[in-house]
Parts: sequence; structure tokens; C-alpha cells
Amino acid sequence: MAELDRTAEAEPATYTINQPTRMERIIDHLKADWQIYLLLAPTVIWMLLFLYKPMYGLQIAFKDYSVFRGIAASPWVGFEHFETLFTNDQFIRAIRNTVTISALGLFFGFPVPILLALMFNEVLSQTYKKVTQTIVYLPHFISSVIIAGIVITAFSPSAGIVNSLLNWLGLDSIYFLTRPEWFRPIFIGTGIWQEAGFSSIVYLAAISGVSPTLYESAVVDGASRWQMMWKITLPSILPTIIIMLIIRIGNILEVSFEMIILLYQPATYETADVVNTFIYRQGLQGGQYDLAAAAGLFNAVVAFILVMSANSISKRFSRTSLW
Amino acid sequence: MPGVRLRNIVKRYGAAQVVHGIDLDVAEKEFVVLVGPSGCGKSTTLRMIAGLEEISDGLLEIDDRQVNRVAPKDRDVAMVFQNYALYPHLNVAENIAFGLRIRKEPKEKIAAAVEEVAGILGLTEYLERKPADLSGGQRQRVAMGRAIVRDPKVFLFDEPLSNLDAKLRTQMRAEIKRLHRRLGVTSVYVTHDQVEAMTLADRIVVMSDGRIEQIGTPMDLFLNPANTFVASFIGSPPMNQISAIIRSGDSGPVAEFGGQSLPLAPLKDLVGADGRHVILGLRPEFVDVTHKGEDAQVSVDIDLVETLGSEALVHASLNGDPFVIKTETGTDVTLLDKINGFNIDPAKIKVFDGETGVVLPGQELK
Ligand SMILES: Nc1ncnc2c1ncn2[C@@H]1O[C@H](COP(=O)(O)OP(=O)(O)OP(=O)(O)O)[C@@H](O)[C@H]1O
Ligand SMILES: [Mg+2]
Repeated sequence: MAELDRTAEAEPATYTINQPTRMERIIDHLKADWQIYLLLAPTVIWMLLFLYKPMYGLQIAFKDYSVFRGIAASPWVGFEHFETLFTNDQFIRAIRNTVTISALGLFFGFPVPILLALMFNEVLSQTYKKVTQTIVYLPHFISSVIIAGIVITAFSPSAGIVNSLLNWLGLDSIYFLTRPEWFRPIFIGTGIWQEAGFSSIVYLAAISGVSPTLYESAVVDGASRWQMMWKITLPSILPTIIIMLIIRIGNILEVSFEMIILLYQPATYETADVVNTFIYRQGLQGGQYDLAAAAGLFNAVVAFILVMSANSISKRFSRTSLW
Repeated sequence: MPGVRLRNIVKRYGAAQVVHGIDLDVAEKEFVVLVGPSGCGKSTTLRMIAGLEEISDGLLEIDDRQVNRVAPKDRDVAMVFQNYALYPHLNVAENIAFGLRIRKEPKEKIAAAVEEVAGILGLTEYLERKPADLSGGQRQRVAMGRAIVRDPKVFLFDEPLSNLDAKLRTQMRAEIKRLHRRLGVTSVYVTHDQVEAMTLADRIVVMSDGRIEQIGTPMDLFLNPANTFVASFIGSPPMNQISAIIRSGDSGPVAEFGGQSLPLAPLKDLVGADGRHVILGLRPEFVDVTHKGEDAQVSVDIDLVETLGSEALVHASLNGDPFVIKTETGTDVTLLDKINGFNIDPAKIKVFDGETGVVLPGQELK
């Protein structure tokens, strides 16, 4: 009892006076670590200027926007632009194309870096490994414009190497880049060529994290290289594969849009026009900024939902997540 | 001879030679322990037997068959690794079955074998668990299970217990010993822990710097170390070594050091060897302590007394060098603080050559 009484008597006031306020603590913290915040500042400023300030303009998706009236003075029109969009066949087509191209890209493109990494892992000669890795990483460092130039040249009907080969085999030239049915294979193939090598780095890193004694133990147990790949390497990097897959699904609407702009033409819009290129044409070329803003907002909201759900699925199943 | 035979086994990495010609015969069912300080080539030797390292030179036979160029899987050996090498994505049963699955044994046979091995190792309740959900000792047991289930000609162990805490290590040590009695498989076991070597081995191979220093039974190495290296490696605490000069006394050779002296056994090499530099080896267990007021052949300064229960370790210094004595605690603990020196039976002093460190002949203890 005496013990209890004493604690009750103790003045709580002295306690709180010594406690720094929240603001004081923040200031102390800033004083102590100001260098780190200084390093952070450029990124924060950049994000505010180029990612957050433009969000103010998003409201034109709900306005009858005119450049002359300005954003604030343009009258509200509610969901009119969205109604227009969803009754527009071109927009519907763009959504369909986006999803199709993304899904096909995922299906054909996703396994390639994994296969590459597994193959690199089996290469014994260090020199050969380095040379091949450099070769497959290279396209990643080349500008998309140049990549597109290479692709257009390679598939050109007159001088392109592909058609020369077809001719040499006795086949007729194909006007690849004007044919809707060829756009997607070429686009997805280009994407794989450009990025698969570089993406394989993630898997190579995962593979190098597998303990070498697992392989030694398997060797003594009598496993062949093939068995080790299937029974050790692949299961060991499976968590990485799952995470990468979830991230890819979350980004499914993010078709690499500059590459499409570089490769498509009106003749291939039918299979090539995606939401982002649609926005680009409506907004920047057609001057319908409000309609383009609505389409962009739609794209962003869907992407946001996808990323959020992918992340929570990942959290649940692989105990790993982006945040 | 069935078992394992190494003849002049050499390992080179590029120009650097790390194993300099090992000769060793491991008899069938024998448990041989390779022991030595870090970097002396124990693992390299073991891995050459397993086939994980190429043999640079020499001859390796398993069961009377030369296996230098035989792939690991065809050598019929099983290896237990220090970090267990369990497959994290497989459960205990699948881990144990891995070697048999790889060899495409029939399913029923695998299941029966896994069940039997799990029974032997007390893993039956854990068969469904993943390695991450096991304790260190259980993981170690799974690693052993993976080796046992293959029913190989030879077991190879590379420091299998060094990731376990002291208590568990003692327990697993006993378990390995029991297992070896039960299965009777030829085993080569690598450790740098001499206690492990002493307790497990039928014969110990002491290595240093890529060479064999001595091969013998644990007691043989303890009583008759071939040189100062083995003397300083085997036993805990290890043998005390005193640098001394030989003088002829009235009743045989005498060793002098720092103004003190000890009579020695009349070894042939010491007769008329006045002025010869030798190293005396005194086991901490073999000296009889004296207390204040008693006569001592050698007097020492006591630094610290560690009481371990029934025994005590007396850390003393002799001519400025550390000297350790192991003695019974007895009933009167205060006696420990009154130690002033020791006596020793001349037959229990090992005399090593002062330059080469090799033991002088004629001193074998039984
Ligand atoms: N790939 C290699 N290239 C060059 N030298 C090596 C290589 N692998 C091991 N060595 C050397 O060979 C020697 C023996 O190594 P080993 O692993 O057999 O030692 P160890 O006796 O098992 O030691 P520890 O008790 O620390 O495990 C060491 O000096 C080591 O530096
Ligand atoms: Mg080792």
C-alpha cells in the first residue's frame, strides 16, 4: 500500500515538463540529420513539381475545358467525358488492345528472363558467360527510338533482313509493319529483345543467393545438372518469380507507349492502339484535353487498383510486398 | 582392403599446393576423425574423397576400386555438411527422400526407408515440417537422415556439429557414436574440435598445413604424441611445453630451465647429451601439486584458479610462460589457494627435440 501511495503522490507535472513536445522532437531530429534530408530534397521537389502539381489539372476530366478560359473558369460537366469515352468504339478498342498486348507480353515475355538466368547459371566458361550477358543486356541501354529504327529497318519490305531472308527462301515479301496481324508479335518480340536480358539480372541475383552446399549435397546424392535446375534452382527462386509476376500484373496497363508510337501507323491501329496512345492522339494531337484527361484518369485508377490488389495478394501469399 | 585408401593424395589450386600427399587407410566400419587447425586441409581432403574436389595427384580407392575419376554419385558415399544443406522448399520427409528420388527408386521403397530412418533419428513427428520450422538439432538430424537413408559404403562428415550450441553438440556427439555402432558404416569425420575427435574416433588423424602429423587411437595420441604439434592439439587443456637444456645428473639426465630442474627418464638419446636443447611436455593431468610448506620439484606462480566442480584448473606461470595444472578439487577447497609448485613422475614427462619438435624415441606409454 505504501508503495502505491508514493506513486500516486509523485507529481505527474514534472514528468510532462521534461518530455519534449512533438515539434521539439522533429526539430531535434532535423538538426541531427539535416544532411540526409538535404539529399532527399531534390526528389521531393521534383515529385511535387512534376507529379503532384499537375494533378490540379486532373479536374478538367470533369469540365468542359477550353484553353482560353483556363482550368478554373471552365464549367463543370460531371461524367460527360467518361460517357463519351465509353461510347467511343476507338476507346473500347484501345482498352481491349491494352489488355491483349499486355497479357500476351506477360505470357511470352515473362518466362524469358527466367530461362535466360537459368541458362547463364549453367554456363561454365566465365569469358563466354560475360560476353553473352553483355550481348543480351545491351539492348536495354539503347534508346527506344534507335531500337524502333532497327526494328523498322529489319522488317522493311525492300531492304529489311527479314524479307531478304523470306525472299531467299522463295517466299514473298510481307509488309510487316502495315499488317495489323503482325503488329503484336513484332511489338512483343521487340520488348523481349530489349528487356529480357536486363530483367534476368533479378533472377541471377536470386540464383546466386542459393547456398552452394545445396548443389554439392545434391551432387553427392547423384543429381544431374538438369535435376538440380528443376529441384533446387527453380524452387529456390520461386518466391522471386512470384513477386515479379505480381508486379507485372499490377502494371498490366502500362504498355510501353513510346515504342507503340514509334512502331504503329494508322493501318495497324486496329491491333496497336492502346489507351495511352489514344490519349496522346486525342489530347495532344486532337486538342481534346478534357477527354484525354478523362481517359488518363480512368487508366490511372485501374492501374492503382491493380497495383494495390497485387500488393495485398503478394503480402498474403509470399509474405513479401512492395510496402 | 574394403574401406577407403588414400595414397599420396595431393591437392593444388593453381600453383598453390594445399594438401601435400596424404596417406591414410580407413578400415571397413572404422570411424576415422580428421582433426587440425583451421585451414589445414581437412575439408579439402574430405571433399576429394567425396568427389567434390578434383584430386591433383595420388590414388584414392573406395572398396578396392580406384575412384579418382569416378563421379561423386557413383562413389557410393554420403556427406553431411556443416550447414546441413537442407532444401528449404522441401519438408523433412522429402529432404530425407531426396537422394532416393533422384535415383528413381520405387515409391514404396522410398516411403519405407524414410519411415525407418525417421524412426531411428526420432524425426517421425516432424516429417511434414519445413526445415525453417525445425530447431538446429532437428535440422542436424534431418541432414544425417539424408545420408543414412542412402545406405552408402562411406559416410563423410564435414564439421556437422559446429553450428550447434555446446550442450546439443555433446548430445548429438553421443547420438552419432550410437548410430555408428548400430549401422557400422565406414566413416570419415572432419572437425577442429579435439574433444569431438577424442570421443568419436576409432582413430584420429591430426593434420597441420596439409600434412598428417600423426595417426592413432585417441588414447595413443593423448599418451604418445609424436611431436609438439600433436601434443599442443590433443587434450584439454593441452600439454604444457617447457623449453629446457639437458645436463647429466648423478642418477641420470636432468632438464634445466630458468634455474629449476627436473630429473628425466634415462632415455638413450639423453645419455651424454649435455647442453642439448629439448622441449619437455607435461600433461596438466600428470603433475602432482604441492602446497605451501611442502617440497616441490618445480615451483610456479599461481595466476588464477578455475574450479570446475570435482576438478580445478590452475593457471600458473613458469619462467613467464603459462603453465596449466589440472587437479582434483578435493574436500578442502582452500588448499587450491596454497599451491606453490608440483612434482612429476619422470616417466610421465615427454621429451621432444628442441629443434624439430619430434618426440625422442623410447618413451611410449601404454
Ligand atoms: N578454391 C581455393 N583456391 C585456393 N586455395 C584454397 C581454395 N579452397 C581452399 N583453399 C585453401 O586450402 C587450404 C585448406 O582449406 P580447407 O577448407 O581444407 O581447410 P579446413 O582444414 O577444412 O579448415 P576449417 O577448419 O577452417 O574448415 C586453406 O589454406 C585454404 O585457403
Ligand atoms: Mg573445413
